[in-house]
Amino acid sequence: MRITHRRPLDYGDVRARNESAWLLPNDGSRTNHGLRRDMRHYAEGDEVDLVVVGAGAGGAVLTQRLARQGWKIVCLDAGPFWDPDQDWVSDERGAHVLYWTEPRSIGGSDPVPLGSNNSGRGVGGSMVHFAGYAPRLHPSDFSVFTDDSVGADWPISYDDLRPFYEAIEEELPVAGEVWPWGDPHRYPHSPHPVSGNGEIFLRGATKLGLRAAVGPVAIPNGRFGNRNHCIYRGFCLQGCKVNAKASPLITHIPDALAHGAEVRADSHVSRVLVDERSNSVTGVSYFKNGVEHRQRAKAVVVSGYSIETPRLLLLSGNSSHPDGLGNDHDKLGRYLMVQGAPQTAGRFAEEVRMYKAPPPEVSTEEFYETDPSKPYKRGWSIQNVSPLPITWAEHVAAQGHWGPALRERMRDYVHWATLGALCEFLPRAENRVTLADETDRHGLPVAHFAYSQGDNDRKLVEAARKSMEDLLHAAGAEEVMTIERYAHLVGGARMAARAEEGVVDTEHRVFGVNNLYIDDGSVFPTQGSANPALTIMALSARLATLLPEHAK
Amino acid sequence: MTYIPPSQRGLTPQHAGRFPGFDTLEQVKYWDHATAGVVLERLAVATQLAFFTAAEVAVARPLLDLLLGQDGEPRVPVLELIDTRLARGETDGWHYDDLPEDGDAWRQTLAWLEEDAQTRHFRGFSHLVAAEQAELVQQVQDLSKSGDKWHGWNATHVWSLWTRYACTAFYSHPWAWNEMGFGGPAYPRGYLNIGVNAREKWEVPDHGEGAAR
Ligand SMILES: Cc1cc2nc3c(=O)[nH]c(=O)nc-3n(C[C@H](O)[C@H](O)[C@H](O)COP(=O)(O)OP(=O)(O)OC[C@H]3O[C@@H](n4cnc5c(N)ncnc54)[C@H](O)[C@@H]3O)c2cc1C
Ligand code: SF4
Repeated sequence: MRITHRRPLDYGDVRARNESAWLLPNDGSRTNHGLRRDMRHYAEGDEVDLVVVGAGAGGAVLTQRLARQGWKIVCLDAGPFWDPDQDWVSDERGAHVLYWTEPRSIGGSDPVPLGSNNSGRGVGGSMVHFAGYAPRLHPSDFSVFTDDSVGADWPISYDDLRPFYEAIEEELPVAGEVWPWGDPHRYPHSPHPVSGNGEIFLRGATKLGLRAAVGPVAIPNGRFGNRNHCIYRGFCLQGCKVNAKASPLITHIPDALAHGAEVRADSHVSRVLVDERSNSVTGVSYFKNGVEHRQRAKAVVVSGYSIETPRLLLLSGNSSHPDGLGNDHDKLGRYLMVQGAPQTAGRFAEEVRMYKAPPPEVSTEEFYETDPSKPYKRGWSIQNVSPLPITWAEHVAAQGHWGPALRERMRDYVHWATLGALCEFLPRAENRVTLADETDRHGLPVAHFAYSQGDNDRKLVEAARKSMEDLLHAAGAEEVMTIERYAHLVGGARMAARAEEGVVDTEHRVFGVNNLYIDDGSVFPTQGSANPALTIMALSARLATLLPEHAK
Repeated sequence: MTYIPPSQRGLTPQHAGRFPGFDTLEQVKYWDHATAGVVLERLAVATQLAFFTAAEVAVARPLLDLLLGQDGEPRVPVLELIDTRLARGETDGWHYDDLPEDGDAWRQTLAWLEEDAQTRHFRGFSHLVAAEQAELVQQVQDLSKSGDKWHGWNATHVWSLWTRYACTAFYSHPWAWNEMGFGGPAYPRGYLNIGVNAREKWEVPDHGEGAAR
């Protein structure tokens, strides 16, 4: 195995290009209030260089990069400018505020629940409550159609992203063992110790002779600026009150503010404004405190994630683009993907207490690539997950238990270990976002998301479930149970070589409208079996090198 | 240290549990205020209902008791927790396109459960004995398993609505955590002992079914 050389993490170098971690306070509080108070403010009438819609994985990285290059930027987010001390709680139910809970309706033959399952709101975006796994895609992910005659090819290659993967891995930073899969690589920080849940995974893998590795998690393992060390409390999906787990709120926004970007929170963008004569964007309109405002801009980047990005562009149609911006070929909102994410739990005589330690611990990508001997294409990865009580009740109830049986099973919680698979579901045109009849609090039609699985998808879930059951049995499980779930949204505004095939070009420009871009998970043509956040950030860091060229 | 009345120490719903003496609430002194606030609020829920009508309560209370096996005191105030949530319109951020939004879906399904009781037993749901009530509830789950409709609605989606709200309320309550040995909030203290069979000094090992008081 050839492992890409990686020089040891040079903190001076990281700090010189992104000072965020050093801009956080070191006195036990989590927010640099001074930085927010002194933030630059633009007037609505000012024509800024760029408006970014959404301060999540995609939007925040771009804002930080371009602010550093002197761009005048306003980044609008529909949700709050979080203060982890005040706004977040170490409690599963209380974390409800972190999710996008504006109404949305779901359908299709396999409806995909949204909200806590996959979408966040507020500065930091969904990474505020993401689990923290930060794997790369494999090189093969970029040529799925050529290699396997399914899905689609990316119009860019793995090599186009590699330097940006490396840069972002240093900025989060990512901790893990030497990574033997895909393009083999090392991580800037060494792996974290594992809890009972991870121990079980490693035990089973050893028994089966299956390669497994600790990581990769976006949680520093060692000093990194003023970020505090993880305290192994297991609430990563509820927002990290410690500032240990990475999210743009602490990894990119502080540096963006220090370089003059304005982050305008609680501002829901309702429309991208386009001058019909020149077919160029002129800014956006947005609601703040019930009042509609406008912000003028030379260019607009939409980073609202896979549901809200297509919705916003559908809502922004005009007489030249009656079906929405970027939708002249009926591709907007389509090819939206979720990963099949069955979770299999095993019961052990010992106490596992999986609620301790961060839920992301151990992974294997042994099943990631197409196996020609199998009746399906592409594959899955397996990772630890560790449901807290409410989510665990969902597991138990899904087995059909209710009443006393539910309670008795729930009392057995400390004995269970859980694995989750991420199956590469293929893109399908009919899996799409459209506008529903229902409206939100601003009177804007909400998104309807239709989802149906294909045959290959179902086969993958079955095979993945079997592989997890084998692993848990090998580790000594007395009993196993599986719940079928979905994870991660990507696609809906896919990148393509030609307008007839997608919504944005290889440089994120929306086909058919000038100076309009999309920079978030919705541009993925396929998804691999990796969690998407690192790739979204890497794409964004790449875009930050292209925009200045376009602006010339 | 906040005061816990002796009768409430190590409390579990219906005194069920396997971790005798374990009390998450004894850890409150180690939690941050924001977290303690949201958790303790669940111990003092509003008893004045804001969402459900009296007629709906007559059906919802026994339904929720059944779904969660709460057949005696002390009870986690599940109905009150759900009422607060529905009154605030705090949904999960999605609903099935063949069901209305959650509040309306609750009202309608409670009305149908009442209708089922009248049709089958010529009495209101609240006047049935628990076994009769359970049978009507079981019927909805059976329809959901066979992929059928209940009063024209997808039974799977109805079952999902009921169990999601019920479980979210019940397992957000510290008494339920005591019952299952879950440590609860862990900020800023965190966990020191991780690994198979590792416990914090304040955690209690599993003593098996029937071990609580
Ligand atoms: C429970 C959970 C666990 C996850 N675990 C992992 C994991 O372990 N690893 C991983 O890689 N990924 C994980 N993810 C997924 C990951 O968080 C997302 O894929 C990623 O954050 C998406 O990035 P994005 O930039 O596309 O959108 P987001 O980060 O969601 O940002 C979009 C932002 O846009 C804002 N917005 C939307 N519409 C508007 C509008 N009209 N006006 C203004 N603002 C708007 C939103 O408020 C939001 O802040 C997880 C997600 C969830 C929910
Ligand atoms: S487990 Fe660690 S990284 Fe996760 S939320 Fe807790 S302190 Fe943060």
